[in-house]
Amino acid sequence: MATLHLLSHSPFSDGRLASCLRLLCAGDALLLCGDSVYALQSGSDHRKALESIPDSVALYALDEDLAARRLDALPARLLPVDYAGFVELCCRYERTNSWL
Amino acid sequence: MARSMLVITRQSPWSGPTAREALDIVLAGGAFDLPLGLLFLDDGVFQLMSGQHAARLQQKDLTANLQALPMFGIESVFASRRSLSERRLDEASLALPVELLDDAELGSLINRYDQVITL
Repeated sequence: MATLHLLSHSPFSDGRLASCLRLLCAGDALLLCGDSVYALQSGSDHRKALESIPDSVALYALDEDLAARRLDALPARLLPVDYAGFVELCCRYERTNSWL
Repeated sequence: MARSMLVITRQSPWSGPTAREALDIVLAGGAFDLPLGLLFLDDGVFQLMSGQHAARLQQKDLTANLQALPMFGIESVFASRRSLSERRLDEASLALPVELLDDAELGSLINRYDQVITL
């Protein structure tokens, strides 16, 4: 039943993350890549919103996008993945929803 | 059995070609009898306003294409109740009958389809 939601836009200039968070179901997952990893910026409202999503929703981010943007002090629940992990996640979930 | 697909359209009709492209995907799929759904989310609900004047911007009217949806066999047309109310749009004033869904219903809607794309 579950959906992997793929985001790549910065939440500071765009509403995709906010809309996506409202329609997550238990078992769904969120994979942040590109500028969407800025949502993890320490102390930001977007970071707080990510930390408050239920534990039943898994949170992933593309490791190289985190490193390139020097995003550290990441939440313990965040699972960094490489591109091989990205592909594996796309296969593991029943569907992906790319927020283009 | 053909795989079902939900297209989520979340751009206004005036923000570039995206709204029209999302609708084209749905109409093309409908022409091939694919089981498709269309969800208007965020600024995408502005596509549903009747009485817009596309010609003033030298554009074609998207509303005519929207009204073709039933002819192409697309009867699963949804809109976010929140997106409409945030923008003070009244269901009665829309150019097309849609099924309004709350946030929680949107999540389960997505999980009913084999494939989903958000444009």
